[in-house]
Amino acid sequence: MQTANKFLFITASALVLGLSSCRKSFQPSTAIDENAALTNAGDIETATVGTYALFKNAGYVRSGHFLMEYPTDEIAQGQNSSDDLTRAYRYTHLVTSTHPALFWSQAYKAAEAANRIISVIKDDATADMRQLKGENLYIRAMMHFNLVRIFGRPYPQNSGNNPGVPILKDGLSDSAKLSLARSTVKEVYDFIIADLLKAADLMSVSKTNAFASKEVAFALLSRVYLYKEDNAKAIEYADKVIASGRYNLITGAEYTNYFRGVPEGNKETIFCIRHTKVEDRGYSSIGSMYFSGDGSGNAQNQAFSGWGEIYASKKYVDKVAENPADLRMSFVSPYKVNNVLQLNSKLTPNTPMYYVNKYSLQEGIVNLSSPVYIRLAEMYLNRAEANAKLGNGQLALDDVNRIRQRAGLSGAALHTLASVAASSKTVLDVVMEERWLELAFEGHRMYDLFRNNMSMVRNYPGSHVVSGNVNQTILPTDNRVIFFIPQAEIDKNNKLAQNP
Amino acid sequence: MLVFLFALLAAIYSWAQNNSTIIISGTVKDKEGLLLPNVSVTEKGTSNTVITNEAGTFRISVKNRNAELLISSVGFQPLTVKAADNISIVLEAKSEELQEVAVVGYSSKKRIELSSSVSVVSGEKLRDVTSNELTSLLQGKAPGVVVSTGSGDPTSGSNVLIRGAGTINASTAPLYVVDGNIGGTFNPNDVESVTILKDAAATGLYGSRAANGVIIVTTKSGKSGKAKIEFTSTAGFSEATTGNFRLMNTQQLYDYQKTFFNPNPAALNTNTNWWDLAFRRAKVQSYNLSASGGSDKTTYYISGNYYKEEGTLINNDKTAYNFRTNISHKLSERLKVSVLLNGIFTKDTYNPDATVYDAYLNMPFDSAYNVDGTPKDARYGTWYGRDRDNFLHSLQYNFSKAKSFNMNGDLNLDYKISKHFSFATYNRARLFNYRSDAFYDKRSKEGATDAGALYNSTSFTNKLLTSNRLKYTNNFGNHGITALAVAEVEKTFAESIDTYATGLPPGRPVLSTSTGEKKTISGRVDESIFSKYLAQADYNYSNKYFFVASFVNEYSSRFGKNNPSANFYQLGASWIISNEDFLNVKPITFLKLRASYGTTGNADGIGDYAALGLYSISQGASYAGLPGAAPSQKANPDLTWERMTTSNIGVDVSFFKRIDLTVDAYNRVSTDLLFFRPLPATTGYDGVYENVGSIRNRGIEFNITSKNFTRKFTWETNLNMAFNRNKVLSVNQGRTEVFTGARQPVAVGRDMDEWYMPVWAGVNPVNGEPLWEKLLTDADGKSYVIYTNSYNAATRQYIGKSAAPKFTGGVTNTFAYNNFTLTAFLNFVYGNRVYNDSRFYFDNDGLYESYNQMQLAKGWSRWSKPGDIATHPKPVHGRTDASNASSTRYLEDGSYIRLRNIRLSYDLPNSVISKAKLSAVRFFVSGDNLWTLTNFSGVDPEVVLSGGESSIKYPISKKVLFGLNISF
Repeated sequence: MQTANKFLFITASALVLGLSSCRKSFQPSTAIDENAALTNAGDIETATVGTYALFKNAGYVRSGHFLMEYPTDEIAQGQNSSDDLTRAYRYTHLVTSTHPALFWSQAYKAAEAANRIISVIKDDATADMRQLKGENLYIRAMMHFNLVRIFGRPYPQNSGNNPGVPILKDGLSDSAKLSLARSTVKEVYDFIIADLLKAADLMSVSKTNAFASKEVAFALLSRVYLYKEDNAKAIEYADKVIASGRYNLITGAEYTNYFRGVPEGNKETIFCIRHTKVEDRGYSSIGSMYFSGDGSGNAQNQAFSGWGEIYASKKYVDKVAENPADLRMSFVSPYKVNNVLQLNSKLTPNTPMYYVNKYSLQEGIVNLSSPVYIRLAEMYLNRAEANAKLGNGQLALDDVNRIRQRAGLSGAALHTLASVAASSKTVLDVVMEERWLELAFEGHRMYDLFRNNMSMVRNYPGSHVVSGNVNQTILPTDNRVIFFIPQAEIDKNNKLAQNP
Repeated sequence: MLVFLFALLAAIYSWAQNNSTIIISGTVKDKEGLLLPNVSVTEKGTSNTVITNEAGTFRISVKNRNAELLISSVGFQPLTVKAADNISIVLEAKSEELQEVAVVGYSSKKRIELSSSVSVVSGEKLRDVTSNELTSLLQGKAPGVVVSTGSGDPTSGSNVLIRGAGTINASTAPLYVVDGNIGGTFNPNDVESVTILKDAAATGLYGSRAANGVIIVTTKSGKSGKAKIEFTSTAGFSEATTGNFRLMNTQQLYDYQKTFFNPNPAALNTNTNWWDLAFRRAKVQSYNLSASGGSDKTTYYISGNYYKEEGTLINNDKTAYNFRTNISHKLSERLKVSVLLNGIFTKDTYNPDATVYDAYLNMPFDSAYNVDGTPKDARYGTWYGRDRDNFLHSLQYNFSKAKSFNMNGDLNLDYKISKHFSFATYNRARLFNYRSDAFYDKRSKEGATDAGALYNSTSFTNKLLTSNRLKYTNNFGNHGITALAVAEVEKTFAESIDTYATGLPPGRPVLSTSTGEKKTISGRVDESIFSKYLAQADYNYSNKYFFVASFVNEYSSRFGKNNPSANFYQLGASWIISNEDFLNVKPITFLKLRASYGTTGNADGIGDYAALGLYSISQGASYAGLPGAAPSQKANPDLTWERMTTSNIGVDVSFFKRIDLTVDAYNRVSTDLLFFRPLPATTGYDGVYENVGSIRNRGIEFNITSKNFTRKFTWETNLNMAFNRNKVLSVNQGRTEVFTGARQPVAVGRDMDEWYMPVWAGVNPVNGEPLWEKLLTDADGKSYVIYTNSYNAATRQYIGKSAAPKFTGGVTNTFAYNNFTLTAFLNFVYGNRVYNDSRFYFDNDGLYESYNQMQLAKGWSRWSKPGDIATHPKPVHGRTDASNASSTRYLEDGSYIRLRNIRLSYDLPNSVISKAKLSAVRFFVSGDNLWTLTNFSGVDPEVVLSGGESSIKYPISKKVLFGLNISF
């Protein structure tokens, strides 16, 4: 019995002590503790890379592309799609639409990640740290700018006093972040401008065009000022970018292969959202919607490499074709069999299959692309538009002609004040046409029209209206020129007011 | 605490010693020869009582050789015998069902002695349906156990819910305990019995992770005596169920499209039935060979099993090889060692393409074959279907498969320290290796853009568990006491590697041939620990009153640093009224009341690091080829165990020894619910893991077994039913919904599975437009309904209908005559609503012309002219009114009753088999799921009940199987 008792107590104590030491915790292998994530310069640099990664996410870059580009007259959807992207194209948004919800969510995640870094770097830190703070400020500004143009009405309407989006600045408390209300469009613009000015001031390192730098902040400032109709500032910041000498307009074959090379090698791109070869999204890429073909760029049937159901509109192709020399036709790859243009016959009238290749074929990979967010051509055209509005017609035409010459046009294809007058157009009309031609499929058109109080006219084959009728005009005052605030966000934060 | 307990036990032990004159020993067995533990042996006319030990033996000191012994045990007829040394006593059972031994907690007891709500399913009853998976065998066999199978894919599992979902986000899966330890592996053929523990008093010992109930599996062991060899062979066919669902053929689709579109008349030349191309009559086979037996000291059970089930979907099957050895040996009178080994090798073949989707949606207008009979490559030429998919073309080249090796070894020692103390250590190592390969050939549509793609993934997991138990049992007079102390720890380690490589030559599916981008190369390591201490005490008085109390402290590395461990306690009591003298009513042969109360926890359904604030450093956080780190998870250091408090009262009653009835009522309140609470995007996160609120499940369940005829012709009926009602009691931080905006938002005061969506109001007879309800409020604050044709204007509403059934159950009838036995088992589910999500595609009112459509179900109609009262709007090609968006339109009654199994078996007469020196030969024919009654318009109403959605469903199978069972 004595032995048994000993055995008993020894076992019991061994177990009690032995198991107590088993009560330990573990750290994941693919993540680090947030408290350790921003403690030194190297980690802050790594975290800054992570901020970029958040908007490289498909929820931002792909869904955002659908929202910014599909409502335009540059494209035609050739068949009815079960994806919610069709609702952006058709202006038939639902409060529960998926792409606006994805975009909203990912944009704020990136802004919040930026906030954390912004708040740990002092303004008088080392140059490298100031650069990183500037990059994060730029990203926060870019997030808010894209949000406000997707969910808030164009700035000129009601002088920016319409509802914009919540401003997610650094230093907010947890509870404040749970119930942010929408600021006005003007307040959001002011916030964006302040961030960009400070970012430009902090940044001193010229990184590749996949990263923010002083010139990138200037370039976005030019666009932001243009959108809020501060034309002088739009010119000022476009000038700063042009004068920096970091960029030039690429020409000839280099231009026609603009989107196919290694993105960093492109001297015209100011900022792109870099996707590496391992980040080809296949059928879920932006390019797969526009193009189906082989790695050499030869157009093939739908489903060869992608869905191939969003085409350049007949309206756009006809416009480019007015000048047979226009190099910009090379960004459209008509799908031809035996030299006969193919039609998508799912709808009546049939939609011509003009594939768009601006989001395909980077480094020879068919569905790979690093979407270009800002490039030098836009700076010239921003300056042109601002000058046109300020009454500097010739200066505006000079910039337009610079872009047209680069596109291979010459002689009568270039504009003069006289030729513009003769065609009973204004200089601004000519600038807007050129922006359309040059920046097509890059997410500008819808804003260029609506902020200038112009209508979107889509009288061409496509699924944008119910079968049979192909005429559609969207007025800049239409409720649906902006998207609904995602219902799921309103459900989680009742301070958010819905758009009508 | 533990030390105190031991001290107490030691004190009781010494007090219980007594002196005696003549010592008599003996054994007590039942009619089948099973040794009976815990039988009271009383010297008649005295209070001198002993209890048989686990081997059914007893030693009692009596005053003289003429003493008489009164042998009694719950569930058996009492017996008086004359005392004699080495006496062998056989007790006759009172009622069969109550004799079943239920393995509960860390011991086994007769059901009759339990204070808890448990269901026992014997191995025989389990194996009528043919499946390699225990869960699908359990369906309808025990009250309150709801099994739902979301897919007919033999490689996928089913979902088990015990007494309704007591959790929102955490797992609702019950805890499996195999051969006395948490977790573990087994093949259904090796199962001796399954015990399902439902209330806190029973589940509590498994503590903390047992909140969803516990399924205890005991595998077979050998019995001393002659070796027994058993061979079972089952083979048969299966077909996909298609229920009420019919797709259109070419003519039907063409005629329908004519009403809103100009289909190409050339399409009429082809009429492809894609469903028939995707599904097949599949073969199922299972062979099982086992040997068992042993000596007084050693027993063994060895078995091997081969199982192969083809999916009804082409290119889909499961093959499993299972090997088990259970050996136990008595090293001495005091020390028993048991070694249990189970190895399972599984090969799964998955259909690599969107074949099920295509079976529903590919157009009959498109031909699957070229004129030369080869599969057509849908990428080229005319193709009407939206996806340009011909799976027959892709399946020539592509494959997806996985194999796994699962090794489970238990080493258990039982040491009898003294007459009253015993110590046991149960130790288990589980090793799991997994490898999957998916290859998309460059010649196929799926592999073309990558010029061939190969996905490889391997993983290694081990779980090490040790459970150490000290037990004290003693009986003095009419008092019986058992006390138990356990210390247990389980550590899990897992590592994995995943690769996605591109640029492979045709038909060369190995990584070395890849010359393209290696798009993913990822690997990770995960570790977690659970550990606990528990103490339990059982007391019974005179086999009439039973009490049990237990306490558990458990730690999990998953929870926040502020609250990683928690305490749980359980209490139970029962009273066998029929053992009282005052209850001497003829019809009632047994009557027992049970009550229990206690708390349990839930730690499943969240990841290993859910409480930590994290920056992800995986490839997704990289940019421009540089490694990055991005915020990925919001911290919640307070995150802690989800807790459930369960009260249960039950009654077990037998009438005339013919009818056994068990009724249980329970109330289960879950608090600190684990949930990934969605946060506004402006927080920078999608959400955070929190303990968000509380819900209640209450219900009644009963099980009745009636022997209707018991003579030459026997007929036994078993009916079990369960009614569960769920209600969300509270949500923290002043909110009223957990998952605001979802189709099932989990709102205070409502069923957690209640649907919330716009209410479909039918079709406007004037113009054929869809209508939804819009709620408005008048000046007096009264709300009223108007109808709107704008989906955005429609009001999302709680519709008072839930994805949870009002009741579920099963009926089994067994008829036997001579050597024939016929068993028919029906299971039913009533009152749930299923969201038939795929109608978005195949019932879309003309929106998409490039998907095949379903034929209108019975009672449905399409609007065609003003005045029509129709269920379906006027078809409009490319319509913009969102008539197919989420609304009650696609919410259907999911009730069904199904003939889950019918089985006829024939045993060769003894006269024949004894000549052949066999001990039993049985033939059987068995049919699974042959008949289903439902109003559901899809292929099958059975869905995973917690989600309640039917989407591009791989339907379950009807099976017809033939079998042979031979024992030597």
